[in-house]
Amino acid sequence: MKNGPLFFLGLFAALGISWAGLLIGTNAQLGGLAPHFDENQDLAFPAQFPGVAEQGLRVYRDLGCASCHTQQVRRPGFGTDQERGWGERQSVARDYIYQSQPQLGAMRIGPDLANYGSRAAEAGIGAPALLAYLYNGHEGMPAYRMLFEQRKLVGESSAKALVGGAPEGYELVPTPRAQALVAYLLSLKQSYELPEAMPYEPAEAAKGGSQ
Amino acid sequence: MTTVLPNQVPAGTDDADQTCGGPLLLLIASGLLWLVLGGTLALLNLIQVYTPAFLADCAWLTYGRLQAMQETALLYGWAGNAGLAVALWVLARLGGAPLRGPNYIVAGGLFWNLGVTLALVGIAVGDASGHGMFQLPRYVQPFLLFAFGAIAVPGVLAWTGRRNPTTYAAQWYAVAALFLFPWFFSVASVMLTFAPVRGTLQAVVATWYAQNVFSLWLAPVAIAAVYYLLPKITGRVIPSYDFAVYGFWSLLFFGCWMGGRLLVGAPVPAWVSTMAIANAWVVLFHHIIVFFNVRDVFRPGANTTLKFLALGMGAYLLSAVIDTAFSARALAVTTQFTHFQQAQTHLAMGAVALILTGALYHMTPRLAGGNWPSVALIRAHFMAYIIGFVLLVGSLAVAGWIQGSALNDPSVAFTQIAARTKVWLQLATAAQALLVVAHVLFAAHFFKLVGGQMAKCCATRGILTSEATVS
Repeated sequence: MKNGPLFFLGLFAALGISWAGLLIGTNAQLGGLAPHFDENQDLAFPAQFPGVAEQGLRVYRDLGCASCHTQQVRRPGFGTDQERGWGERQSVARDYIYQSQPQLGAMRIGPDLANYGSRAAEAGIGAPALLAYLYNGHEGMPAYRMLFEQRKLVGESSAKALVGGAPEGYELVPTPRAQALVAYLLSLKQSYELPEAMPYEPAEAAKGGSQ
Repeated sequence: MTTVLPNQVPAGTDDADQTCGGPLLLLIASGLLWLVLGGTLALLNLIQVYTPAFLADCAWLTYGRLQAMQETALLYGWAGNAGLAVALWVLARLGGAPLRGPNYIVAGGLFWNLGVTLALVGIAVGDASGHGMFQLPRYVQPFLLFAFGAIAVPGVLAWTGRRNPTTYAAQWYAVAALFLFPWFFSVASVMLTFAPVRGTLQAVVATWYAQNVFSLWLAPVAIAAVYYLLPKITGRVIPSYDFAVYGFWSLLFFGCWMGGRLLVGAPVPAWVSTMAIANAWVVLFHHIIVFFNVRDVFRPGANTTLKFLALGMGAYLLSAVIDTAFSARALAVTTQFTHFQQAQTHLAMGAVALILTGALYHMTPRLAGGNWPSVALIRAHFMAYIIGFVLLVGSLAVAGWIQGSALNDPSVAFTQIAARTKVWLQLATAAQALLVVAHVLFAAHFFKLVGGQMAKCCATRGILTSEATVS
């Protein structure tokens, strides 16, 4: 190789082709996804993301929750995500259009959270229970005590304070960050139906192994 | 054990080494400090996997943040600095002329390290970007881009101003690494941070970037080092050299499509992962050619550099085969989202690190103008590194396979998975501890060598000054 300009052109082409193909290509395909209007329910899905949930997404990101939890349900027949109760159907790109930064994750040290909000609602887990869980941690999950504040009790105790956990004369109050995180987690729902996620053939998917 | 003996002027020091000694030693020194720090953070992070309460009360070191910090320190701190030093040195040597603009390296190097420091502090307080391999906070990204540009300038000048119009494979790989990084880094910065693409498309951009970090930046630097050092040390020509050019272009053109293999089953277009899997097979062509070109490296004899290069090359080829095989959906269904993928990353990045380490064993004495002070330290470093590396990759792979198989059995709870993998993760922790020992030994040895030379240099200068005063 003696031709310098041609060499640099080649380098540039190698990167440029993959950029155009992968990034511009997928962007052209999915960049304009709109919500799906369900005529039976007279509602559009996915639902808009409440502002506090968007703040919670940032807390989720900054604590690196995605290093243990995914938020992507794989299709029936590919893994056992459905059997584990993580979602009835596979996650599709449209589920995430309102999230500023979807936290898909790449590691499952803990369960998938794509449908955590739906699961929590079914199990009757509300914000107070989830806050207590975050404060206490779990066998496999660290406690996130930095999201709580121990305050001297002045007058009546705060309505949001955790029950127990604080010494006499003090109260344990979740910070706004904790409340945002919990609001975010409880808003994670992919329990509606989308046309592109509907027609699946588990038997065929398991056999062919292709999408 | 090693061909170089202490206290002997290293053979084959040339002009290029004189001009770039200081700046490159600065990069290497900072790289080694990041290696020790990153390795230590990785050790703490591994303990947290099976002991979640460990350091959980310290907001700065909570598991997710610590993981981003150790990855950033090792990737941008260690591999970035050391990789830049090796690429620049190869280009200076093959350019056949003293390196032009060495001050760019000093200025860029200082800013690069300041940027990495800022990135780690930023991640600790919660500013991580949240994309794997690209955890840099937004305010650090432009900083690193300009710093890299400054460091790369002398390298590109060494290529354009080379004395010999014919170029060598080592130069192609080194120039590609220096030239392409700013482009794909700025694309990722724009498409993920400053004008982020919508929804899950961010995952496509992030995996594209992460793959490019390996295929277009770190792997080319490592391969450049092997192509340069192997014939230099053995004195034998590279066999089937005519094919090297095909190996080069096949990595560049197809390597950057491989990132999507991590997105199998993800909510992105399915063709992204299909293209990635197909390209992973095509890129094996590159590995075959590199293998035939540098196969002499697998007969390293007693040379320390060659021994590291042999292990690094072995890991590089093995990693390609494993990555390709486990990108297939039938296997990915088990290994996806598990420690197995971490083992794959360790194998690939470890291949680069081994080769860089080998190159540093050759370069440092020539840049500093003196030999490694202790053969025993070299031996200890080599043994600790190799045992630690093999054990780390092996135990994480086993842990990941157990984890993946258990995840695919819905009757196994997460606490049971943790119990089943615990012993393997503890083994991985021991391996990582051994690696930290290796890193400390290497860094200490490096500073002993360079410090000794600096002291010698200052002493001579001092004598000269006093003589001048007397006369």
